Amino acid sequence: MAEVVFDQASRIYTPGAKPAVDKLSLTVADGDLVVLVGPSGSGKSTALRMLAGLEPIDAGSVRINGRDVVDVQPKDRDIAMVFQNYALYPSKTVAENMAFPLKMRGVEKEERAKRVREAADMLGLTEYLDRKPKALSGGQRQRVAMGRAIVREPQVFLMDEPLSNLDAKMRVQTRAQIAEMQNRLAVSTVYVTHDQVEAMTMGDKVAVLADGKLQQYATPPELYDRPANAFVAGFIGSPAMNLLELPRSSSGVTLGGIEIPLTREVTNAVGSRDKLTIGIRPEDWVLESTDADAGSVVKAVVDVVEELGSESYLYAHLAEDTATKIVVRGPGRVKVRFGDPIAVRPTAEALHVFDVESGERLD
Amino acid sequence: MIDRAEGWRRRAPLLPALVFTIIVTQIPFLLTLFYSVQSWNLVRPGSQSFVWFANYVDVFTDSQFRQVAINTIVMTLGSVLIAVVLGLLLALLLNRQFVGRGVVRTLLITPFLITPVAAALLWRTVLLDPTLGLVNFVLSPFGASGTEWISQFPLASVMAALVWQWTPFMMLLLLAGLQSQPSDQLEAARVDGASAWSVFRELTLPHLRRFIELGVVLGTIYLVNTFDTVYMMTQGGPGVASANLPFYIYQRAFLGFDIGQSAAMGVVVVIITLIAASFALRLLFRSFSVEEGI
Repeated sequence: MAEVVFDQASRIYTPGAKPAVDKLSLTVADGDLVVLVGPSGSGKSTALRMLAGLEPIDAGSVRINGRDVVDVQPKDRDIAMVFQNYALYPSKTVAENMAFPLKMRGVEKEERAKRVREAADMLGLTEYLDRKPKALSGGQRQRVAMGRAIVREPQVFLMDEPLSNLDAKMRVQTRAQIAEMQNRLAVSTVYVTHDQVEAMTMGDKVAVLADGKLQQYATPPELYDRPANAFVAGFIGSPAMNLLELPRSSSGVTLGGIEIPLTREVTNAVGSRDKLTIGIRPEDWVLESTDADAGSVVKAVVDVVEELGSESYLYAHLAEDTATKIVVRGPGRVKVRFGDPIAVRPTAEALHVFDVESGERLD
Repeated sequence: MIDRAEGWRRRAPLLPALVFTIIVTQIPFLLTLFYSVQSWNLVRPGSQSFVWFANYVDVFTDSQFRQVAINTIVMTLGSVLIAVVLGLLLALLLNRQFVGRGVVRTLLITPFLITPVAAALLWRTVLLDPTLGLVNFVLSPFGASGTEWISQFPLASVMAALVWQWTPFMMLLLLAGLQSQPSDQLEAARVDGASAWSVFRELTLPHLRRFIELGVVLGTIYLVNTFDTVYMMTQGGPGVASANLPFYIYQRAFLGFDIGQSAAMGVVVVIITLIAASFALRLLFRSFSVEEGI
């Protein structure tokens, strides 16, 4: 069991260039599953590989259980890693693959066989132990990779997009399996993904990265309810939050001819800025009747309707400003179609307010 | 359905090549079969007569032929195996990053690009000459000067030249193999606690197996036919100490003018080669189709 600490850890590929990971600081509490999430090129995989020892740490430090591992070889860090393409050893059987880390550590043959059997039981791989990886399906390979990691009983699990090569159904299934197994084994886990749904559903805490920098490190509800900046606001949530650059009015901001009031605290925080980035989640719009009073609702025209059964998403542009697009969550079986007018009103309490320039949250 | 006429029309463009191949390979082979049952020595005109299988009996009772057959096996397999081992070491070296790698790689490939006759000449004169050779010059501080490499160690000298020429081929083949090994497997092994030696033995060597097999089979096919190196360096001598089958058959046919005898040897060699080659090729095709898949 271990606590993992990134302390101002940086990875600079070419001196003078922008760091791939820029002064990353975060702490993974013992037994937690922490998800590093971000778009491609955000440095999330690099950060994981720094923890694994596959990339050097150019500045700062990384500590596992209080021990600085900057100069420690991967094999001496007591970690186990699951790779995106599983990295199974093609010349070895499933059993040999899973036993490999134990063999390399000089574990006795009987003990190896016993632990491989236990792990295979847990993962439902018992009948495949004598097969070579090429004779397995994608999901089975993924489980062998998991098995190879858990037989070791390491201090930390590292997972680098372990589900990205599975089909959608398998991904949801395996996601739950991994989360369940991680809870059972209570081994600290660092999990990298580009998929914010995986991040939100699996993580005890989630670190959002962009351009090598940590944007926010928080629990999933916090991330969703109070994104630290406009990037996180736009990245977490599907469909993405509406981020609209709106001019100030006397007591709020104006959108599509109506005034959206801001609370006193927000107004104080905003100060003298004359423009704000306002974030409104799709579910924070209220659909009103189209013949409502013009001063109280925003009129828009529907471009696309995504009907999901239990709910629907309306992609629309504002009636008086066609360049401004919004996404609105509606009920299932919604009646509107392409080209129909709708009228919406944002829920005032649910607004997210960001600085236009820096993107930082203001309230 | 394609009717017969249409089938022949489609095959017609291929026929010239087929006919040509038959003319240049099968007719000589049939003639060789015919000669092999004749007693025919060009030195004695008019001596040609039908002798049934007497030539074949002679081949199998000829102690020189047995010696030469053993030489051929030692020369071929020995050179191939040494070249594979050296090629593997060099490939492992070239698979690493170091300053000047491009230059080193080019220099290491060079022996493969030299005409075999020129290479053999180079080895006989520049390297192995007892008085002027570089090998004795380099060894002279250790008191080994004056060694007559080519007459004292004729087979080993020929093999040295062959190994020198074929190591780059094996190196390139194995380097391609090394570079096709997925890097995430190597990283996984590092995280799993494998030492460099374990990674090599447990992962790299199994991965390279079919590349090694390919190298051995191709190398053997080429080297079993070696003629120029033997001819240029030792003329098969002293005696038949460094002669291999192609050279010995040449000697009997074009220096001894014993057409019947050498034809019988040729037939025996072709049959043995066919048997050996079909096993080798089966091994090769198996390892490239069933195993992990390219």
